[in-house]
Amino acid sequence: MDIEALREEFLNKNFDEQDFDVDPDDIVNFAVACGEVAPRYTDPSHPDFQAPPTFASSFHAGRRMPEGFPKIPGLGMDGGKATSLKHPIRPGVRLTGRTHLHDIYTKTGRSGPMTFLVMRMEIYDPDGVQVATADTSVVIRERPGK
Amino acid sequence: MILDLHTHSIKSDDGRAKVQNYCQWIRAKEIPIDGFVLTEHRQFDDSSDYSGLAREFDLCILKGSEVETEYGHVLVFGVTDALRSAFDFTDIRLPLQRVIEACAAHDAIAVPCHPGRKRVGMQAHVGEFGVPEGVRIVEIYNGGSREREDEIAQTMANDLGYLGIGGSDAHIVSHIGRCATRFPATISNMAGLVEALRAEDFEALTFRT
Repeated sequence: MDIEALREEFLNKNFDEQDFDVDPDDIVNFAVACGEVAPRYTDPSHPDFQAPPTFASSFHAGRRMPEGFPKIPGLGMDGGKATSLKHPIRPGVRLTGRTHLHDIYTKTGRSGPMTFLVMRMEIYDPDGVQVATADTSVVIRERPGK
Repeated sequence: MILDLHTHSIKSDDGRAKVQNYCQWIRAKEIPIDGFVLTEHRQFDDSSDYSGLAREFDLCILKGSEVETEYGHVLVFGVTDALRSAFDFTDIRLPLQRVIEACAAHDAIAVPCHPGRKRVGMQAHVGEFGVPEGVRIVEIYNGGSREREDEIAQTMANDLGYLGIGGSDAHIVSHIGRCATRFPATISNMAGLVEALRAEDFEALTFRT
């Protein structure tokens, strides 16, 4: 697999756009699931009620990969998530997530060669202000014995 | 002087530690090291300046790299622009011989790390590729080693006459200083570290319990 060619063809090109309506119950449910106890995350009547910082990781793109992206042989696994919050996410706002392939790289670990695909969703408010980024990594491990 | 010769910061894809937090941890927990080398995976971080942190915490903070070869992972000390143009640091199938020769040509030094580890350690590939030429030092204490991996590394070093260094391979703050290397003289920059390694007067240390 020519990683450089894939990077050249697919990186940094938006391949998905989704709208998300942020509901107070979604925020509370997410906060409770994360073990949050601060009222600003769990009590919709709190004057500073907002989503926990990692809430953006719960947004999902409509497409998993760009159209035409080749199947990389191996065992695919969740490679983790990372979020970066620029402004508080509050309920009652329609957010828009635009997703692109942010990085493709290879490495070798105890389990052998692996390819990492990092999808980045940039999340904007109705004024076009970016409020967060959410990265989702997929790791594809070469099949044992190869 | 004691230096942890193998650490990763958030500049590495799998690193979770900020350099400032390493410094704070070393001082708060009185970790018995005088500094550390950031050996980020498959790259040389030339954009970060840690001189302010080094002064603030009175620590020696140096930068190297960890590259990937057919013999597994290899620490590189003494990275320069010329060395970076000699081979592609992002290539995960670099020929070890090329790395060693490039390092020799550019006043750097290559040290296979965690050589007892399966797949990414040198010992796992000696049977297939033979004993590589030009290796003088290997990492015999690695803070991330699992059971027997350091023992395999030490046996290999003894059998092949290699010298040994120690490094924590820290990816999170609390792992820094688990293993390190003691030098008789003070080291304040990368040229000094390369010179000290070439002088072959050092001792690998482990603080793992």
